[in-house]
Amino acid sequence: MTHYSRRDFLTHSARIGGALALTQMGGSSPFAAETPPAMAIAKWAGDPIADADSTTLASMAVKLTEQALDAVGGMGRFVKKGDVVWIKPNMAWDRPPELAGNTNPDVVATLVKLCLNAGAKTVKVGDNPCDAAQKAYATSGIEAAAKNAGAEVIYLDENRFRKMALNGEYLAEWEVYPEIVETDLVINCPIAKHHGITQATLCMKNYMGVVGGRRNAWHQALPACLTDITRFMKPQLCVLDAVRILTGNGPQSSQLQDVARKDTVAVSADILALESFGVELLGNRPEARDIVAKAAAAGLGNPDYKALNPRELAVT
Amino acid sequence: MQIACLALFILLFVNTRFREHVEPDASAHVFFHLDPLILAGTFLASYAVPAAALLALVTLAATLLFGRIFCGWICPLGTINHFVGWLRNRVRGLPDAPAQWSPWQRTKYYLLIVLLVMAAFGINWIGVFDPIALLYRSLTTAVWPALQYAVEDGSTYVYQADPHIGPVHATQVTEPVYRFFRDHIFLAPRQAFLGGGLLLALFAGIVLLNLVQPRFWCRYLCPAGALLGLFARRPLLLRLARRDDDCNACGRCTIGCQGLAAPGHGNPWMAAECFACWNCVSTCNFQALRFTVEPPLRKRPVAGLNLGRRATLGAAAGGLAGLFAFRLTPQAQARAYNPGLIRPPGAREEHHFLQRCVHCGLCMKVCPTNGLQPTTFEAGLEGVWTPMLVPKIGFCQYECNLCGLTCPTEAIQPLPLEEKKRVRIGLATIDTTRCIPYAYERNCIVCEEHCPAPGKAIYAVDTEITTRDGRKIIVKQPHVDPNKCIGCGICETKCPFADMAAIRVTSANESRHPGNQPILVGIGDLEGTAQQGYGGAPAEQTGASPYADPYGQQ
Repeated sequence: MTHYSRRDFLTHSARIGGALALTQMGGSSPFAAETPPAMAIAKWAGDPIADADSTTLASMAVKLTEQALDAVGGMGRFVKKGDVVWIKPNMAWDRPPELAGNTNPDVVATLVKLCLNAGAKTVKVGDNPCDAAQKAYATSGIEAAAKNAGAEVIYLDENRFRKMALNGEYLAEWEVYPEIVETDLVINCPIAKHHGITQATLCMKNYMGVVGGRRNAWHQALPACLTDITRFMKPQLCVLDAVRILTGNGPQSSQLQDVARKDTVAVSADILALESFGVELLGNRPEARDIVAKAAAAGLGNPDYKALNPRELAVT
Repeated sequence: MQIACLALFILLFVNTRFREHVEPDASAHVFFHLDPLILAGTFLASYAVPAAALLALVTLAATLLFGRIFCGWICPLGTINHFVGWLRNRVRGLPDAPAQWSPWQRTKYYLLIVLLVMAAFGINWIGVFDPIALLYRSLTTAVWPALQYAVEDGSTYVYQADPHIGPVHATQVTEPVYRFFRDHIFLAPRQAFLGGGLLLALFAGIVLLNLVQPRFWCRYLCPAGALLGLFARRPLLLRLARRDDDCNACGRCTIGCQGLAAPGHGNPWMAAECFACWNCVSTCNFQALRFTVEPPLRKRPVAGLNLGRRATLGAAAGGLAGLFAFRLTPQAQARAYNPGLIRPPGAREEHHFLQRCVHCGLCMKVCPTNGLQPTTFEAGLEGVWTPMLVPKIGFCQYECNLCGLTCPTEAIQPLPLEEKKRVRIGLATIDTTRCIPYAYERNCIVCEEHCPAPGKAIYAVDTEITTRDGRKIIVKQPHVDPNKCIGCGICETKCPFADMAAIRVTSANESRHPGNQPILVGIGDLEGTAQQGYGGAPAEQTGASPYADPYGQQ
């Protein structure tokens, strides 16, 4: 857990004081500028790119991610100088990017670079995978891409999970990975996928990769458990990769016919807004809406994403 | 040279793991292929060896010319024994009286005869005693996991006990150590193996026997040394030359002799026991001993082995007796199948598999889920410490064929990945008395979520059930499609039941045994001709691959 130290308190007070002082100074106030929207949806509007054209596809993913982040005020809005950031992609499966089992590696690498450019001291990338970790990290392409971009790729040590008080409605405590919780910012960065029971696996279910223990038992009460872990994780920034999405046989498939291209990356500071956007993308099934509704009832965000006036970008 | 060979062995051992973009290559097998006992045993048992194993002929040729240089200079287990024996002598001092050649040194030759007789009749127990296989197995299943356990759990304990108060932390020392070992030494997640304690104890026993006598294992027990000894009775080129005029019979050479080969005064040199380690030459104060390279014609006296006809025949009879003992089980006679004996994908039909497997544990070392475990008695005593998949511990990773690529004797065939994905190693069965949507009125579907088969072998059917209070609710009950299930076992590994999974995989329907296929696959497609059902190989498998019929008779 991050501790709010005396030094933090003093620097924050000074900043707020300074900012207040500035607002008194009239026209030059930075706060006078329009506040960036809480959410942005970047969609490719250029020429269609073939699946086989991996270089162009990669540069598209980079552009979508960069511009979506820009539209919500830039990474600097979320990352302070010297921060340690944990990027939590979905890299649970031993599947190559084409099969849409894991987050797009170029989206992850772009986030790493943006964090470092915003002054992050360290960017860590890691997940608690379902398949063998070494295989999943490598086959997903994320390990290589993230390392290239300057991140530390962390293999979770199953003996280091620690019981933490979730103080949830249903889960009083659960094994969570301390190194993730100790960072200054966790960027939740899933891929949009179909799922056999929830019909959609998005940001909230992505948090199953920060917990250990017999987490599979959560499937018996997913809305309650996912609400509890989401509350505990206090999401600040979520990035949904919908360059490819998985439309069937999720959360991982071995056949290309289950994969569709949406060429979209969406970013939101409000997890539920992004979650409902993803649910729509995946066919708006009631099972998926149940989870969002449960989390909304717990006050974790605004599921009516259109009410946030998301900035929609046509990227070329 | 010795240290370099041991270092190479350990380097190859550490490198034999999953690495991105690196397929395991033959370098991992160098020591196995240099070892003539593995060549002899595998050839006698199966009449087939990988071409690279013929490298062992080089070892044999070198032995014919120069004696047991493999034992003295190359064998990594020999080096470990040498080192521990040297430590013993450093601590306890050299023995007072020179140990002489002992008739017990013949034990290893009798053991060799027993093993070779058994191999000739198709039971390959060579690997249980072979030094390379033994060392690899012990390192994989016991020594390495124990080391990793000590470092990781030790530092994790400190990490968790650290109160996070004040400027000085024990973790400032333990965490760098932990990271160094994780990033530079272990490089792979920790493994643990069934029966690892016994394997550790056996290996420790072999190492500790050096305290009784240096190189106890090499002198008395090692069957590979015995095989080389048979070829080293009269090395064609290398001879120990002793000038008796210069010798004062001090016995120092005999005390320092690694192999008890009687280099000293008064006895003929036992060339078959000599490791050509040069200790005798370097300890002699009067330069009375030297090794000479001589043309084969000039003979110097060399002592024979004198194994004795009676004892040799006795050993052979012992081998036959062992053979019958091993085969006196219904399982060995292929009349019963052990449901828990799930062999890795590409493993040959059981008899042929056991004829080739050298019990070395390479496949278990590379298995990324730790699912491949050593058997104890699941495959009979004949198949002790051979690989089986234990889905409760780990599953067969769908996109992985490392075990087959790594097997030094092709007991597990090196199937291309696309072919491996179609091999059935077992079949999942749902225990509806435990499975949550059947027995406990709620959804679960973890098995369906994880199933990697294309289109999923596990599918959920929305089923109406009546709850305790009489309500009708719909739950998703899982079912297994035998046409698609390959028995990888991820469903069993991931099932929320940690004690006994509600979905379990048995060896039923394994491709390699038509006799163990109760469920006829492909029945649904009988109308069309798309899929061939009975008989193993799916129809997509064309004759183009060298392994097109992996389960034919070799």
